[in-house]
Amino acid sequence: MMPNEAFDKLFDKVPNDVSDKASDKASDEARYLYCIVNSPSCGQEHLGNIGIERQAVYTIPYKDIAAIVHTCQPVPYDSKDPRKAEGWVLEHSYVIDQAMKKYESILPFSFDVILREGDSQIEQWLGRNYDRLWKQLDALLGKAEYTVQIFYDYEFLKAKILMANLDLNDMQNRIENESKGKAYLLSKKLNQIIKRDLEAESRLLAEEFLLQIKEHADKLVVNDRPSWIPENFRDMKLMASYSCLVRKDNVDRLGEVLEGINSLQGFRVRFTGPWAPFSFVDFQGLA
Amino acid sequence: MKPERESSLVEVLDRLLDRGAVLNADLIISVAGIPLIGLNLRAALASMETMLEYGMMEAWDKSSREWYARQEAKIPLRQDEVVTFKAFGYLWQEQGIIRRWVPGVWNVTSSRLLLWLRSPGEVVFEADLNDICKKRVPSLTMQRQELELVFSGGSARIYLSEMDELEEAMERASPVLAVAMTAEV
Repeated sequence: MMPNEAFDKLFDKVPNDVSDKASDKASDEARYLYCIVNSPSCGQEHLGNIGIERQAVYTIPYKDIAAIVHTCQPVPYDSKDPRKAEGWVLEHSYVIDQAMKKYESILPFSFDVILREGDSQIEQWLGRNYDRLWKQLDALLGKAEYTVQIFYDYEFLKAKILMANLDLNDMQNRIENESKGKAYLLSKKLNQIIKRDLEAESRLLAEEFLLQIKEHADKLVVNDRPSWIPENFRDMKLMASYSCLVRKDNVDRLGEVLEGINSLQGFRVRFTGPWAPFSFVDFQGLA
Repeated sequence: MKPERESSLVEVLDRLLDRGAVLNADLIISVAGIPLIGLNLRAALASMETMLEYGMMEAWDKSSREWYARQEAKIPLRQDEVVTFKAFGYLWQEQGIIRRWVPGVWNVTSSRLLLWLRSPGEVVFEADLNDICKKRVPSLTMQRQELELVFSGGSARIYLSEMDELEEAMERASPVLAVAMTAEV
């Protein structure tokens, strides 16, 4: 879990840094970019010293959008110490979380995106890309990213397949009475068939689940290689993992669909969010 | 079922390192011995494209140039081979069910065209310049021109925004090479 609580306290207590130093800094400095947000207020806003290594985070506004940045040296954050790097990433994540609370729509940036320019050039950059950025922000308004992971119990599905198929059941029984060599070959064959059937079955189910989920998601991407599975799901197999862009008023309905899947025997669902729409920002071709 | 705001460190890292918008980024970190592809290269390299486009590179100070020099130093060049052109771009790859555009830096050297991936630091495509036939072709999926390369080892489809410049660089390098080859024979 992220050290949000500690940060929250810090965030509440730190008064807004109202000095204009940031925008007057010499040109050899750069700006670390956390995200771009919709910001109807127009003026520059200070979010406090909540950035990476407690840097003062502020907005560079252009019309009704703004970049959330801190002033930094024009070199990437780079460290051989994984703990330090993790700390930076968590601090970045914290700023994104705060921005999500404060603004209605947000385009999150990856870690270590640094613009080698000052505030006024970044303002111009926002201006050049205004239409594109605005359209994306508008499309994400009132929506957030949710992660859905569906797990299944291998042994349960295997038993189900054996039950449903009398031939396989018969094969299973024969294995017990055959000679060692023949039993080995038979069980190999049986496992192959079960594996094939199981794959076919889970593909069918996954498609069915996907259709139900899609109905309540504006967009959906398949995560092909989740890097981490929680402890309490590790005795199960992952069937599918999706990132979904969901309208706020659709979250409950999606929850109901997932509850339905979760209550099926042999299946469990992990549903997390809301997250900033990391999987749904498209900056291809940004000027 | 209510969504939970529950996320492991690995998931947070995944989200912030592998996704989100990128303009400039690079870092590889490892957690408990598992290397996470920190910032995928697309990132660091896309930034170069953007920055070159807007002349931001000109203003790059010594330290960032050194940093880039450090990153770029590893391309395995042959003896006397020099890089004459580089730009961020893509290579179309089809391997079984994997069909995707692989992002990287296209390098034209005095003898080769190669696509360099900074992480894990490998040449994913290379062909001798005097062995390449190239042709502009319309994209199958997008409204753009792509470059089809045919060479003795096969064929490839590539895309980059500086296609003209790449072709010029290849043409500049190739005739010289052809002359040298003839002279040797």
